[in-house]
Amino acid sequence: MTAGPLVAGPLEVRDATIGYGRVAISEGLSVNIPEGEFTVILGPNACGKSTLLKALARMLKPSAGSVLLDGKDIHSQPTRAVARRLGLLPQSPIAPDGITVADLVARGRYPHQGILKQWSAEDERVVAEAMAATDISELASRGVDELSGGQRQRVWIAMVLAQQTPLLLLDEPTTFLDITHQIEVLDLCAKLHHEGRTLVAVLHDLNQAARYATHLIAMRAGEVVAEGAPADIVTAETVKQVFDLPCRIIDDPESGTPLVIPSARARDLV
Amino acid sequence: MSTLTSGSTILRVGAASIRLRHRTIAAILGALAVLVAISLWSAATGSTALGLDRTWAALIDQGTKGDEFILWDLRLPRLSTGLAVGACMGLSGALFQNLTRNPLGSPDILGLTQGATSGALVAIILTDATLQLTAGFAAFGALATGLVIWALTRGGDPSGYRLVLVGIGVAAILAGVNGYLLTRTTIVDAFRAVYWLTGDLSGRSWEQATVVAIVLAAGAAVVMVLSRGLDALRLGEASATGLGVHVTRTRVIALIAASVLIAGAVAVAGPLAFVALAAPHIAARLTGSTRSFTLSAIIGALIVTGADMIAVAGLGDRQLPTGVVTGVVGGVYLIWLLIAQRKKGVMS
Repeated sequence: MTAGPLVAGPLEVRDATIGYGRVAISEGLSVNIPEGEFTVILGPNACGKSTLLKALARMLKPSAGSVLLDGKDIHSQPTRAVARRLGLLPQSPIAPDGITVADLVARGRYPHQGILKQWSAEDERVVAEAMAATDISELASRGVDELSGGQRQRVWIAMVLAQQTPLLLLDEPTTFLDITHQIEVLDLCAKLHHEGRTLVAVLHDLNQAARYATHLIAMRAGEVVAEGAPADIVTAETVKQVFDLPCRIIDDPESGTPLVIPSARARDLV
Repeated sequence: MSTLTSGSTILRVGAASIRLRHRTIAAILGALAVLVAISLWSAATGSTALGLDRTWAALIDQGTKGDEFILWDLRLPRLSTGLAVGACMGLSGALFQNLTRNPLGSPDILGLTQGATSGALVAIILTDATLQLTAGFAAFGALATGLVIWALTRGGDPSGYRLVLVGIGVAAILAGVNGYLLTRTTIVDAFRAVYWLTGDLSGRSWEQATVVAIVLAAGAAVVMVLSRGLDALRLGEASATGLGVHVTRTRVIALIAASVLIAGAVAVAGPLAFVALAAPHIAARLTGSTRSFTLSAIIGALIVTGADMIAVAGLGDRQLPTGVVTGVVGGVYLIWLLIAQRKKGVMS
């Protein structure tokens, strides 16, 4: 599938204070999203990882500092132009009542359309490709509300793909799925990354993050504690530091990536 | 035609392309046909039945003086006012439902109508309450209420729930104010106020029809520009932001447009109950998952002119205020909607 221009320019947060209303979650935060990598942001609940993703997606405006896309403040750029370079799958998107799969995926074309440009041949081609890439072509005329959770998540990913952005931000894309569908979605993410896109996802599962990510950002209390390749930063010390969880690290027998085995202390107490 | 756009026809001229959804187009054409029939019926019947041939003659300036007076000075102004008022209410209701993402999100529930009523009551108590003065005060009341709601929801994102809750609070306060105002007036003024509160189209002039038509045209233009963004907002604020919609800007402009539309309509016709609430629901039922602001406006016009037709026919030879009919019909509709939704097991 063609992904449109594969260059969005670098995305970075510089000295930013991010939060909700007057409550700052992160202060003086600086993060670089390396281009061409599959970055996973992880950390314990309320560590500010979704807040960081929302700032990267321009849903939250930093009260100090800035978020830069291609070197320029993301909030000073036309939002439609940004939407052609950066796609977002939010945590809980809303499917309008009774909407069909094809109609929902077609919504991804919004930043490429206009009042007098409602459905170009290009729209048609890109939507078909996005549906093929996520393996939902057969579901085209089905209602989104009839689908299983895993299918629905693939439909939403197809919608974001139809936006044809080189950069994809995914906020907890696996949270409400069972293990099979979690792996299915992560495999799809890995495929999209291999095709040349830059991905940023917030994940909860440390082992899945270690297996799929090529770059990890570990956060705690609004600050970045460690970042780098999974093999370098998934260590017993870092896990203790970030999650406050004693553990051992072994090699994942399937992928060779680090596998976190929590210590058996809870058992010992019984 | 591919499965991606089944149920639509794509028209392409050069780089321009228009997507026509068959179901929406059919609903619009059907509603327009009913609207034309109701309009003709309203023009041709009434206390003096003209019939279609005399109405036509008067319309093309070949009728008797009397017939032309009845048609051009009595019926057509009333009909035109009804059409424009209904369209304004249908459009305003559709905007509010989009903004609140709530089936009860209408200017009746959110306090706009109550605000207009406060304005009208002040005019009736303090001034000699000509139609124009009452209308002006009512419009001011609705707009002021819209501004207050906007100011109160401004802090965070004006998300659906916040808007509904703030609106209900404002509506409750204004209902109290209106009750107080009614107790401060004479029995004659109170009667006039209650009559205005019911909402009516009788005795409306071309002047008033023109004012509402201008409001409608302005509102429709704004909605046309905003409609794609508003449609994207149905996916939630986060997705809309991701797709490149100016979420806050779109919502603020939509809120202002919805307030102006309802202010114009209520100022001229009084707070015709339930039109703004029912029109978008009926339209949505006709079009399925797609939403059409155009259809909602047409349905609004249909409800008001239809109700006015019934009001004129009245019970025996007694004319009813239009608002009585929209209230009864709208109330029945609302209850039916709630029952139907309980059966479906969802409040969408």
